[in-house]
Amino acid sequence: MMSSAQFEIQLIASLVAVACAIPGTFLVLRKMAMISDAISHSILPGIVIGFFITHDLNSPLLILLAALTGIITVILVEYIQKTGLVKEDTAIGLVFPALFSIGVIMIAKNANDVHLDVDAVLLGELAFAPFDRLLIGGTDVGPKSLWIVGTILLITITLLFTFFKELKVSTFDKGLAASLGFSPAIIHYGLMSVSSVTTVGAFDAVGAILVVALMIAPAAAAYLLTTDLKKMLGLSIGFGIFSAILGYWVAHWLDASISGSITSVLGLVFLLVYLFAPTKGIIAVMYREKQQRREVSLITFLLHLKNHDEISERHVKHLNEHINWQKVRSKSVLDLAQKNNMITIDNNIVSLTEKGDEFTSKAIDYIITNEDAQIEDMKDDFFLFRG
Amino acid sequence: MLGSFAVLRKQSLLGDAISHAALPGIAIAFLITGAKDSNTLLLGALVSGLIGTFWIRGIVTKTHLKSDTALGLILSLFFGFGMLLLTFIQKQPNANQAGLDKYLFGQAATLVESDVWLMAIVTGICLIIMLTFWKEFKILLFDADYTKTLGFNTKTIDILITSFIVLAIVLGLQTVGVVLMSAMLLAPAAAARQWTNKLSAMVFLAALFGAFSGVFGTAISASQNNLSTGPVIVLVAAVFVIVSFVFSPSRGLLFKQIRFIKNRRDLELHKTLAFMHNIAATHEDISHPHAIIILNNFQGYTKGTLQKLVDKGYVELQGNMWSLTEKGFETASNLYNQQNENDE
Repeated sequence: MMSSAQFEIQLIASLVAVACAIPGTFLVLRKMAMISDAISHSILPGIVIGFFITHDLNSPLLILLAALTGIITVILVEYIQKTGLVKEDTAIGLVFPALFSIGVIMIAKNANDVHLDVDAVLLGELAFAPFDRLLIGGTDVGPKSLWIVGTILLITITLLFTFFKELKVSTFDKGLAASLGFSPAIIHYGLMSVSSVTTVGAFDAVGAILVVALMIAPAAAAYLLTTDLKKMLGLSIGFGIFSAILGYWVAHWLDASISGSITSVLGLVFLLVYLFAPTKGIIAVMYREKQQRREVSLITFLLHLKNHDEISERHVKHLNEHINWQKVRSKSVLDLAQKNNMITIDNNIVSLTEKGDEFTSKAIDYIITNEDAQIEDMKDDFFLFRG
Repeated sequence: MLGSFAVLRKQSLLGDAISHAALPGIAIAFLITGAKDSNTLLLGALVSGLIGTFWIRGIVTKTHLKSDTALGLILSLFFGFGMLLLTFIQKQPNANQAGLDKYLFGQAATLVESDVWLMAIVTGICLIIMLTFWKEFKILLFDADYTKTLGFNTKTIDILITSFIVLAIVLGLQTVGVVLMSAMLLAPAAAARQWTNKLSAMVFLAALFGAFSGVFGTAISASQNNLSTGPVIVLVAAVFVIVSFVFSPSRGLLFKQIRFIKNRRDLELHKTLAFMHNIAATHEDISHPHAIIILNNFQGYTKGTLQKLVDKGYVELQGNMWSLTEKGFETASNLYNQQNENDE
């Protein structure tokens, strides 16, 4: 049986996962994933200043200030980049450590005696989240962070539904978005604000690093599995929730940091997808590369046959030597050609069939015109078995 | 120093990723040996940093994911895994575990003499290797394809540079910590880049800036209480960067702005002259005087520009009238021709 605290932790983790997955998907698609890392570090001074003013880690002002620092980071990065002095990644790498340092120094100078240390900001501790209750009129309505994250999630979802079309268009085709009349800049900064707010809202529950992981990893995994934006959003939300819950139980079992173990589960999920994704995974890519290599060999081989009528040139043994292939490779190519009815072997003499001849002629056409699409269609027409 | 290569190779954030990715290595090394010997821990960090780097490579080359996603992914995943291991270690009954987390934020004060020696030795080796392979590094940096055609094994050189960057980062971790390491790698190089276009000068300057910010940062943090060394060093380095951005003679913002204003003035001068030329050309006598008032409708005309034209000897003033000199007429009629020629 789960205790209510356990249930609450899982609920918070799942909500954070969903809240992160949504902006994360767009960040990954917009090639701005590292911005989330930068934001998660550079909100530190904002949090510190907010904390000095309010002395309350959960006050909305804190979130506002931190989000503001996040946006300042983005603007600074863009400004530095615009000067053309350094590249974007260098700009990111310069801005956030500087802001982070300012935050660390401010803590060290002024806040030594209060509960606010760097570890807590960076790593967070989900296990304590249920003990920080929100009391309304003396009644306990649940953990504070649950309410904060829930509100942020609600806002994010509302924004997502309202501006889905705008987001989609501006992500994939900035020029079209601008010509249709939505300002890419507004959407850009809107997305950045949502990311900042999410990062801040989630940081004290799960820590800055986990926020980054939750933003990028599910989206990256989903990206490898689908090309449809809606499916990608759904998948990354699914991955996020799955990792949050499984990660909690792993942490429970190992008696270790919850955020660390959620991240590790996320890593595992990504690794699995990375290896086994049907079309974009490593194994699929390598298999395809191998297949293409063999098919290129096959075409080379068929061209050779077409160019040589002499019996001596068409002997199986001679082919081995002439095209300089290893035995295994030539055997696999021969098999492939035979399976596809492109050659016949008679007394170790290879000859093209009618189909093989036609295929080869078309292949020559392809090589001359060098149009990529053509050869794939052609392969579909002729091949019974792929390489 | 090695940062220069990272900046020029557009791998700036690699430093950040590696420094995070080193964490699980430290934790695993500790789990295996059970001792807090800094050499084994560094080795662990090195190995996991390298694994992280090559995994990033794998993601970028084999899938459609972009490099920023790959970096962020590896960074956060490795770090999270490292945290898991660290908290796991903390629950273990092993008195030695305390202090492992100093690697996270770094504390130059905790360095002992042997660490410093190790750093010095590694820096020396880096230097020697860099000087030996200087030509190869340089050529790979600026024209990878050309390097390949020359017959160099680009992969080996690439791995060599990357390994050294990782090594440098892992060593630096102890001093400034995970978060700030990337700044240590980048800031001096980015600052140096503004002052020179030459690789050798840039590397030298970067080393200089790095050393200076190290010394100043330590001095400042030692002079006050409660200031940890790492952040101060980073801030000093950031100041170097800002100064370089603003004041560097050829690329700096200040001089760029000055050049921009100067160009605009020149353009205004040319415009006024061309306008005068148009008026003057309607008369047979080019030095026929015209009223200054007719210039007032012309944008770009000011008293200043007129005075300048007089100073250059293009225009003569007589009371309220102006007239083009011979020289001024010549220049004005050649103004656009010359420009056309230059364009071609």
